[in-house]
Amino acid sequence: MYSIRKRLNLTIIASMIVVLALAAGFLHVRVADQIEAVFDAALLDKARALISLTELDEEGLEFDFAEDGVMSEFEPGESAQYYQLWESDTELLIKSPSLATSDLPQSKVQPGQHHFSDLTLADGRAGRLVAIGFMPRIEEPDEEEDALGDMPVAKPIALILARERASLDHTLWVIGSTIWGGTLVVLLLVALLVWRLVGSGLAPLSKLASQVSDIDESNLGARLQHSGTQSIEIAPIEHQLNYLLERLQSAFEREKRFSANVAHELRTPLSELKTLAEVAEMVPDDPEQVTRFFRDVGEISGQMERLVITLLELARSEAGLLRADPEDIDLARYCDQIWTHAINGQSNSKTLVNHVQPNLVINTDRDKLGMILSNLFVNAVSYSPDNAEIHVSAEIRNQNIVLQVKNAAMDLKPEDIVHMKDRFWRKQRSHDDNGHSGLGLALVHALARVMQLDVQLQLDQQREFRVTISGLQPGG
Amino acid sequence: MKLLMVEDSERLQRSLCTGLQKHGFTVDQAFDGEEALAFIGHNDYEAIILDLMLPKLDGLSVLSKLRSDGINSHVLILSANDQTEDRVRGLDLGADDYMVKPFAFEELVSRLRAIGRRRNGVKNPVLEVKGVEINTVSREVRHVDTVIPLTPHEYQVLEFLASRRGRVYSHDQLIDQLYDANSYVTRNAVEAHISALRKRLKAAGAPNLIKTRRGFGYLIE
Repeated sequence: MYSIRKRLNLTIIASMIVVLALAAGFLHVRVADQIEAVFDAALLDKARALISLTELDEEGLEFDFAEDGVMSEFEPGESAQYYQLWESDTELLIKSPSLATSDLPQSKVQPGQHHFSDLTLADGRAGRLVAIGFMPRIEEPDEEEDALGDMPVAKPIALILARERASLDHTLWVIGSTIWGGTLVVLLLVALLVWRLVGSGLAPLSKLASQVSDIDESNLGARLQHSGTQSIEIAPIEHQLNYLLERLQSAFEREKRFSANVAHELRTPLSELKTLAEVAEMVPDDPEQVTRFFRDVGEISGQMERLVITLLELARSEAGLLRADPEDIDLARYCDQIWTHAINGQSNSKTLVNHVQPNLVINTDRDKLGMILSNLFVNAVSYSPDNAEIHVSAEIRNQNIVLQVKNAAMDLKPEDIVHMKDRFWRKQRSHDDNGHSGLGLALVHALARVMQLDVQLQLDQQREFRVTISGLQPGG
Repeated sequence: MKLLMVEDSERLQRSLCTGLQKHGFTVDQAFDGEEALAFIGHNDYEAIILDLMLPKLDGLSVLSKLRSDGINSHVLILSANDQTEDRVRGLDLGADDYMVKPFAFEELVSRLRAIGRRRNGVKNPVLEVKGVEINTVSREVRHVDTVIPLTPHEYQVLEFLASRRGRVYSHDQLIDQLYDANSYVTRNAVEAHISALRKRLKAAGAPNLIKTRRGFGYLIE
């Protein structure tokens, strides 16, 4: 895991270091070159001045600059400059008094050419020289004299002019340190600015992260909020996170409600069992009571078993573990079988009126259809008035078979219909309804989904409740 | 101690009623909220055991109604709802106690006894009247070191009057408090129990605790 802020800061600052260093380096080199060039140009100009003061006449070479008092900078001293001239690269013609017994390095240079180089002066200072080759200027002969008579032959001369370069180096150092120091200061300021700007730019993200980290399972009702104008980058994240939170909260509440309902549904029969056990110990000599208690224990166990089986089936259907295993079934006969098995003589006053045409064969999962019919019949018997008839019928629509179970349900209201497939929903939340836990229709829907059937619940004006199952495939 | 048990589970009603009667409580049974209000309207109960999820009228509505009607019976809620908000709502509406299912039967009995003691302003579960000790927990009566053998009905009369010392109760009031609504008991039966009780106390050397106020009823001073 890494910090976006840290990474952004480091990346931007590193980039700035590279860019500013390149810029500073380039500037330094350019300025230093320019200053050195100016220095060299001045040196060259001076050399040319010396050349202009060199003349060849009938008496030989004359060096006017070497006369006493003409150019005092070539005298020995702290800021002395130096020159030395050779003829034909070999014969020393003259050198500045400042050189005393030392010499400047001899350099071969053709007339009209020059070059610069660094050297260490005789007094140990760093210096710079220019070596320039030239032909001495020949003095114009007087008109009266025979110019061509005694004029010596001009030979190439090499002039080496040198001076200390400490002032140049100092200037270069000052410029260099100014450029690099300035660059460093700018870098520090940029780094500070980048740190603050990145921090301020990422502040909405940091706030979002802080709000998100404060949310746990105890405050899923909290929603992410922002103050001021929302950024277009953060808005979709916040919106999506709030949407996910809403769904998570809803799932948690559903889970909590489901757990509470399961706990509640188990607590009551457990309470009955516990009390029965404790009270039974108090009446060991009352066989009638004890027998009754045992019968109650059997009923309670059956009720709990049904609840657990239903919950397991629901869990399996949710986990996708249930598969439909279709087979041919004689529907009319199967309805009668399920009625007999599910009702088991418990409601003699209510009858099943089977309208399904004999020998109608469907192809579906026998066990699951049995569970669906069983739940529908038990519900119909439990919630219909005394002596009611429960009708089951089937018809073919669009090559599918539609199965319908209907019964009178006087207590039901139209607004109840939407809740009927909710888990643990009961018209009465009490336990007077023969151990119904409110899971029957939820299981019917879950099984129907596995079997790819559609289940519709309807209540008409006459309070007749109808469950319609469509999508059954004909068999045979 | 006369109780009304309001519980929609018939099986739980049956076992609880059997157990509570064994512990000397007089128990009337109601299976829904409306039936409970009808019982409460016609009887004076020391305590009401009230389930919350009831047919017709839920437990909290029953509780609100009886408190708004000025009925001061102690109410013990017995519910499978274990959430704090359920307890708070029940207690705030005027319940005196709250027990979550499943529960220990003995704890229920102890809480009911404690309710009875609070109602009669008694702290000690052993009542002492003129040297006669009545242990309301073990339901044993002693004088000096002698255990006085009593039938359940005789003990009920003695404990009822001893825990309400100084108050006179008529035959009808005693019948109302000591017998459930389904019992048919005559004044003679009450007189017979009191007479037998006096004889047993006398046989054990104890003083005659139960006084008769002619035209009014009986009391223990």
